[in-house]
Amino acid sequence: MLSRVADALYWMARNGERTENNAHILQVQLVKMLEESGRESVNYQDWQTVIDICGSKSAYEEDYGELRVHKAVDYIAFSNGNSNALTNTLSYVRENARMTRDVIPNELWEVWNDLYLHSQSKGPHTEFSFQDIHSFLQHIKTTSMTSTGIIDSMMSRDLPYHFMKIGQWLERAEKTALIMKVMLQKAKLSDCHSFSEYDGQFALRLVNGYQDYSKKFRLKDPALILQFLISDRTFPRSIYYCIEHVKEVIWKIESEKVAHYSWRMYAALDELIASVEDVCVQQLSFEELEMFIADILNQCIEFGKIFSTTYYLIEADASR
Amino acid sequence: MFEPYKTGHYYDEMLQENGEPKEHYRQFHSVLQRLSEEEFKEKHETAQSSFLRQGITFTVYGEEGGTERTMPFDCVPIIIPADAWETIEKGMKQRVEALNLFLEDIYHDQHILNDGIIPRELVEQNPYYYKQVSGTQFPLKNHIFLAGIDLIRDEQGTYRVLEDNLRNPSGISYVFQNRFVMRQVYPEFFSRHSLCSLEDQITHLQSALLSHIPSNMKKHTEPRAVLLTAGMYNSAYYDHVFLAQQMNIALVEGRDLIVKDNVVYMKTIQGLKRVDIIYRRVDDDFLDPKAFREDSLLGVPGLIDAYKQGNVAILNAVGNGVADDKAMYTYVPDMIRYYLKEEPIIQNVETYILSDPKQREWVLEHLHELVVKNVGASGGYDMLIGPHASEEEIEIFRSKILENPKQYIAQPTIKLSRAPVYQQGNFYPCHVDLRVFVMKGEETHVLPGGLSRVALKKGSLVVNSSQGGGGKDTWVLKEVMQHA
Repeated sequence: MLSRVADALYWMARNGERTENNAHILQVQLVKMLEESGRESVNYQDWQTVIDICGSKSAYEEDYGELRVHKAVDYIAFSNGNSNALTNTLSYVRENARMTRDVIPNELWEVWNDLYLHSQSKGPHTEFSFQDIHSFLQHIKTTSMTSTGIIDSMMSRDLPYHFMKIGQWLERAEKTALIMKVMLQKAKLSDCHSFSEYDGQFALRLVNGYQDYSKKFRLKDPALILQFLISDRTFPRSIYYCIEHVKEVIWKIESEKVAHYSWRMYAALDELIASVEDVCVQQLSFEELEMFIADILNQCIEFGKIFSTTYYLIEADASR
Repeated sequence: MFEPYKTGHYYDEMLQENGEPKEHYRQFHSVLQRLSEEEFKEKHETAQSSFLRQGITFTVYGEEGGTERTMPFDCVPIIIPADAWETIEKGMKQRVEALNLFLEDIYHDQHILNDGIIPRELVEQNPYYYKQVSGTQFPLKNHIFLAGIDLIRDEQGTYRVLEDNLRNPSGISYVFQNRFVMRQVYPEFFSRHSLCSLEDQITHLQSALLSHIPSNMKKHTEPRAVLLTAGMYNSAYYDHVFLAQQMNIALVEGRDLIVKDNVVYMKTIQGLKRVDIIYRRVDDDFLDPKAFREDSLLGVPGLIDAYKQGNVAILNAVGNGVADDKAMYTYVPDMIRYYLKEEPIIQNVETYILSDPKQREWVLEHLHELVVKNVGASGGYDMLIGPHASEEEIEIFRSKILENPKQYIAQPTIKLSRAPVYQQGNFYPCHVDLRVFVMKGEETHVLPGGLSRVALKKGSLVVNSSQGGGGKDTWVLKEVMQHA
């Protein structure tokens, strides 16, 4: 497979996953805001968390100044200045899908193209209503699920599929790590300097793991929640699950061999798996936990770079 | 349904002067009559949105970064009876055969120039004549893998060749997509017709492609072919995607290829892989910055050397432009007579050469009746349609011609045939032409039908998609119609 095509598939999957995750996060926050109406201070803190997870607080402040709900939604969903805004990641998905149309199922292109055309057909986004936002977010979710269904039911388990899956899992692992990192930072700055049950439940919802967690555990213990998000063997959004699957696929791509060009990639992956596999959250102090999560996130990012170099994706990317 | 449709002075593909359908349209017409207006409208809209959803678009340049548009689709097909098609098919094979012999000749022995059939300067001073590739040996001695020949019908209904496209003719994907959408949206039209299917056409195209084995390729190996595109912002990108996908070859851009020791490789995740055949959809000038335009970012440095050494086949061959030039066009009937010793089966449109003083003088007096075209331009640009032009426009062209007579040709305004279209809720007649696709490898094959293009603007003569034209499905009937 062409390196450029592999690169495009990988980024299509990452941006698809990112679009879905950010849409979900925004949806969670919008619903939560309604439930908690009246408790404004909590609300603003949560919005800050959400902005940091879906973009960056300083970039937001530069463009919009003070925190306002309508502006925050605009920033996360439509802002040209935010490269992770939903409309932007969506157009990256579409662009990469278009570049690889000869490789992916036609239906996959069609669903993303449909969503893209839909998002473009609305006039200036500054005039959106919350009804508009909800239906846009819902459209994203349905598209993303349909896309997953098309990929899983129509694509052969060969290189294009593998590269897309790696993109998806890596993005997911990073997002889960990022959510924890941002929430721990916020907790540190809060009055009680600890990760509360409230934070834990919020994190679960942001990762879309509330239901799954509740089925497995009765206690909403913050440490247990973090442990679940880091190293649960079966939850498809835990860091362990994602990285373990990345390894499985790379093993397939490489025909179960370690070659001179691939050993660094394996080494980085094994180290990452070992870290999340063995950790016991309860034994860590708050500071240690914070450092640990930051380190995991860095390792994920680092692995992404090594992966891209191994398959010449960096080169393909650079000439864009 | 067809009120107040009038065929007028034009040849109408479907209707006779009295409003009755022609014999080969009778069955289609009767099915059409049975659809209610509401049903028809709804089907029409379904068809349009299907193109958009599938992203079957072309890019219109000029606006910010290029805008994507779908080619408007019109659901009234052009129907061609079997016997008429047989003549077209023969005519197209004959024409492409002669054009190919011409290309091979002028890049090698130049008999046709030595014998004075074609003025030497017309070839050697032509900007599309690439001396760089003179003497190069081509696989199968074939320069034309895919040609798109534009046909029109005059007021008598006689088919004539309007233009030969021997470089990168686009539109073949629309032929397939038009048929696909038609079958989906109007299944009832098909039940009573027996048409030449498009199903196995891609196989012909693929085997024609793969038969171009470069001379240095290892025997008994499978050739690796790629389609070279200028990328997703190219106006015909959808065409490229479609062809690569259907022929099962990699869709590559210039940056995906590299030449080492005169061998072309593609950059894959497992390193470099050798490439044997390149079906390029990039113009000659941009192919190789070492050989042609230095500023080309689309090209592959060293590609032409690899080609000249016989390490890679490039299709269509480099330098074909000299043969599909609008001035060279006038000599194609002579080429047919010269190389094949046959009379042309499908005639040209009468054409005046403006470098000839006598013809020029006559043309300048009759500009308001004629169509003037720049020999190098395509896509409906830089042309004058005399009867529709203002005095000012005519004067502009008069000075253009006087300044550079070689650059222009003139043709009588042919009363292009028309066919009914259904747009904005009613039927009206519009001018049509037909792009026929000829594929040439070890054998020559003509795709049955082709792309019917239609000038959707009322009264417009320009069918080109970049000028607002649309497409129609083209049916070739399998059996000869029984005349009762």
